[in-house]
Amino acid sequence: MTQHLQFLLLGLGNGAVFGALALAVVLTYRSSGVLNFATGSIALYTAYVYAELRQGRVLILIPGFPVTGDIGSPMSFWPALVISLAFAAVLGLLLYVLVFRPLRTAPPVARAVAALGISLLMTGLIAERFGTEAVNVNAIFPTKTWTAGSLSISSDRIYFALTILGVAIVLTVLFRVTKFGLATRAAAETERGAYVSGISPDRIAAYNWMLSSAVAGLAGILIAPIVPLVPVAYTLFIVPALAAAVLARFNIIVVAVVAGLGIGMLQSEMQLLSSTHTALPSSGLPELIPLVLILLVLVVRARPLPARGAIILQTLGRAPRPRRILPTAVVMFVIAVVAIMLLSERYRVGLTTSFIMGIIALSCVVVTGYAGQVSLAQLTIAGVAGFSVGPISTNLHIAFPFAPIVAALFATVIGVVVGLPALRIRGLTLAVVTLALAYALEALWFRNLDFVGASGVAVPDPAIFGWSIGIGSGHAYPRVRFAIMCLVVMTAVAIFVAYLRRSQLGSQLLAIRANERSAAAAGVSVAKMKIFAFAIGAFMAGLGGALLAYEQRSVTYDSFSAINGLVLFGTVYLAGITSVSGGAFAGISATGGLIYIFVDQVWSASGWYSVVASLLLVFTVILNPEGIVGPAHAALAKRRAATDRGRGAADAIDTSEPAPTQPAEAAVIDPTRTELELRDVSVRYGGVVAVDGVTLTVPKGAIVGLIGPNGAGKTTLIDAISGFAPYTGSVTLSGEPLDGRPPHERIRVGLGRTFQAIELYGDLSVTENVKVGLTSALRGKTRHDDSRSEFDRIEEVFELLGLTDVRNRPAGELSQGQRQLVSIARALVGRPDVLLLDEPAGGLDTVESHWLGSRLRTIRDSGTTIVLVDHDMGLVLGLCDQIHVLNFGKVIASGTPAEIRSNRTVTEAYLGDAHAEEVSS
Amino acid sequence: MTAAAAQEQTHADDSTAPVLQCTRLSAGYGSVRVVRDFDLSLAEGQVLAVLGPNGAGKSTLMSTLAGLIPRLGGEVHVSGEALPSGRAAAANKAGVVLVPDDRALFTALTVRENLTVARKAGGPGVDEMMDLFPALTKRLKVSAGALSGGEQQMLAVARGLVQRPKVLLIDEMSMGLAPVIVADLLPIVRRIADETRAVVVIVEQHVKLALAVADQAMVIVHGDIQLSGLASELAASPDRLEAAYLGEH
Repeated sequence: MTQHLQFLLLGLGNGAVFGALALAVVLTYRSSGVLNFATGSIALYTAYVYAELRQGRVLILIPGFPVTGDIGSPMSFWPALVISLAFAAVLGLLLYVLVFRPLRTAPPVARAVAALGISLLMTGLIAERFGTEAVNVNAIFPTKTWTAGSLSISSDRIYFALTILGVAIVLTVLFRVTKFGLATRAAAETERGAYVSGISPDRIAAYNWMLSSAVAGLAGILIAPIVPLVPVAYTLFIVPALAAAVLARFNIIVVAVVAGLGIGMLQSEMQLLSSTHTALPSSGLPELIPLVLILLVLVVRARPLPARGAIILQTLGRAPRPRRILPTAVVMFVIAVVAIMLLSERYRVGLTTSFIMGIIALSCVVVTGYAGQVSLAQLTIAGVAGFSVGPISTNLHIAFPFAPIVAALFATVIGVVVGLPALRIRGLTLAVVTLALAYALEALWFRNLDFVGASGVAVPDPAIFGWSIGIGSGHAYPRVRFAIMCLVVMTAVAIFVAYLRRSQLGSQLLAIRANERSAAAAGVSVAKMKIFAFAIGAFMAGLGGALLAYEQRSVTYDSFSAINGLVLFGTVYLAGITSVSGGAFAGISATGGLIYIFVDQVWSASGWYSVVASLLLVFTVILNPEGIVGPAHAALAKRRAATDRGRGAADAIDTSEPAPTQPAEAAVIDPTRTELELRDVSVRYGGVVAVDGVTLTVPKGAIVGLIGPNGAGKTTLIDAISGFAPYTGSVTLSGEPLDGRPPHERIRVGLGRTFQAIELYGDLSVTENVKVGLTSALRGKTRHDDSRSEFDRIEEVFELLGLTDVRNRPAGELSQGQRQLVSIARALVGRPDVLLLDEPAGGLDTVESHWLGSRLRTIRDSGTTIVLVDHDMGLVLGLCDQIHVLNFGKVIASGTPAEIRSNRTVTEAYLGDAHAEEVSS
Repeated sequence: MTAAAAQEQTHADDSTAPVLQCTRLSAGYGSVRVVRDFDLSLAEGQVLAVLGPNGAGKSTLMSTLAGLIPRLGGEVHVSGEALPSGRAAAANKAGVVLVPDDRALFTALTVRENLTVARKAGGPGVDEMMDLFPALTKRLKVSAGALSGGEQQMLAVARGLVQRPKVLLIDEMSMGLAPVIVADLLPIVRRIADETRAVVVIVEQHVKLALAVADQAMVIVHGDIQLSGLASELAASPDRLEAAYLGEH
């Protein structure tokens, strides 16, 4: 018992650091939406500044200047502390002003990657200047040993923990009582609210960054005497700190500190358990704690992290549709083979490594670039295969080439497990979870001496029918045939990823990346697709990992560590995470790759490589979220658009075209056949009744209008019918009840809808946008004219809506009116029985609105029943057969346009006259 | 013209420099132009009611005036000073205060804290706000998220007032509120204009109530001004109002 208590108390030291760093992370996240991976390195930097000041030197980290400057005599504690904290605050301010303020409108991932870059930059700079020596500092807190019975603990840890807790309490009071504190909490909740209240979110963020860096700096200084630490360890502190911040929901400071202390204590306890119970793994249990805690909190109470940051966000970056895949592949293959032959040994190894890292980078492209799921664990997943391929070959006697495939399959299983949290959480939270997973897996397995020998896991030579294809040794190293094998695998993977982008699956993944809700509305099974993406990515990463194992011949954790995984993610982001060319370029730029070798050979500067690369990373993120290949893509896109325009594609709706002539079936409204029936449908949000007992029927072949003042519940009703809002009552389509079914099922059964905020995928062409839901919508339906191919159907819809000329343009480049039409086309192409249109005339002027009306009539004539919500009274009154008027969630009037127009209740609802007479006396 | 209207007219002519002036203002977002070539001139203490069906561009107009969205064209002057486009902080500093349609309250802060954090030097204090909105007096320590709809709306307006606005823009004050509450709230707009001499622009659904408290009014449909003039005149011609909203019979 006492031993447990002892270890728990021992953990207070680390726990205090985690708590302080977590506090710092909460401050920067709350005020600027940045997940500050660099917090640990800020702590490291400040610790070094302090240590140097205590020796009488000033730390100057700028390359080219001497490392330190002399200030005469060593400084005593308090001045050194205050000055170091001032340095830290200034550093925080600089980081905000130079890096994170320009990134206000960038996607959260971009900001996190920039922070990662800063972290690598600073750690790299310090490591270059000081080597990897531990910081050597005299004790700050008294180091008496306190005993209580058989418990003994060094007092400095207790003081440290109490200090941090004290800081947390003081800051909490500060945030409650001062105007600055109120303003911070206010701006954190709503930026718009801040602007209209005269609060400058920018200034608030700057101050908070200064405060956060000072706190991180304090932690760095105070831990240095207790546990001698090296640069890398400070960076690793970030994982438990992030876990503690997640537990505090990135909001409550005291909880973050207490959680940090708790994690420290639990980790220490885990170490005790590992050493006393031989059944438990000898390493890795402490690293499991952050992961387990995060999963418990997030999966059990999956409310997403509060979104922070600017009101408007840019997209992640263009994912262009590859053209001429095979010719490009052939050309690149030939060039690569020539390079393999001609390059000398070191460069050939570098090129081979580049091929392998390119494969792993492409897995990041699929999982993050295409599907939008931020996974920081891809390298670790590669490591699963890397560490398995040896034992699989040796112990299970599975020969090459099956051994690496089996290893990759095993990695796929792990990859799917990694991807499971993505079903309930997304964005940066998912990033934190994957990082915690990587960190835990590395400790549990890759570093675990139970499983991995001191010199790593041996990997047997790959051979096909006795002919060795391995990288060779001695004079034969590195063999051309191994390099070619890696090239072949990489080319195959690259071609696969390019075709994936062009496939229906690729469009669906991009749709999920852009907007999950809209993808679900288009009939995409979001959960299934996410798992697919993780599985495909994991298999690819596994192949890369196995190849890396063959290249190294003896696998150690270093190749697959969590930190290196972060570096790889940053590299891929830098190179361009949304395209094949980006993935390939990432391979070339990766550590150990071709460029790295080149830099090292020419300037013997491999240590500086990470510093320069990090600097480049930060610049690139600021200037272009699409990575280095971004400008190239933009130029290509401009050229294509110009060629298209030359061929006559219009920039606006051509309203001169008359509607196409009558199609085969001319439908007649049959009042006896009800297509859509609503019975007593109500929608409640908390205490608010948004829709109140709506009962109405829509006859087959009708165009029915749904109108009413703002806030009347029209869109909520559409949401209920299409499955996006839970409701009571019943909705029946052609006699089939829809209640309880998710949106994509309702699509399959014959319902189509558009959204008020047109949720098109800007990266995809018009055709791709339309195709996204097509297959899912048609699956499982028997249609009597099934013989029409998918292509014909799309062409037919394009013609009907006048979109033929723009069908290959990316949707992001179209005018508002055209986008309305694409949105309708997307819903129409699945041949819905009932089409729900939410404000289709939004942004159209009177002429265009009229044109739209005639098109809608043609659509109805070809057999689709239409329910239309709009504010354009001219359109609605002129087009609809029946109109229902909603106010305060209830239907207040129904009838023909003429009846509605002369209905006093309706006029009063719009002009707000109701009750005015009674009250104004 | 009635005597009262004539008095209103001269009252407007007394203060020479307009407090809020828009010249050929165009507003919208992305590729959508929602308001076209909008002109406006308001003197101190005047209340303008902006009416019209939804999707007409009224909220976009408000957000553009407050600098939350960049202008697509034209100029805005407050007391003669030009406002830069799309800079919310500058607009707020110049005295243009928006009470947005979603209120954007700080729900985690109490009523008192919402007011303290927004208060500008020289602006009315919490006590003066309680005079204007007595219903909030008992709720000072309650967090804004726990207030009723009507109370939240009052707090949102109060938060605007403590900033000593020259131009107060109130977007959809009555949204989601029961008509009885709206009837109590709208007259406060008149009081604000009379006592603080601020220009008040209200976007409203409740046409009759809005016209009762306003000096001028305009009806915007599809981004164009269909009707504009003295509020009293518009209130006296319900047929023209109906036609503007619902189209001709």
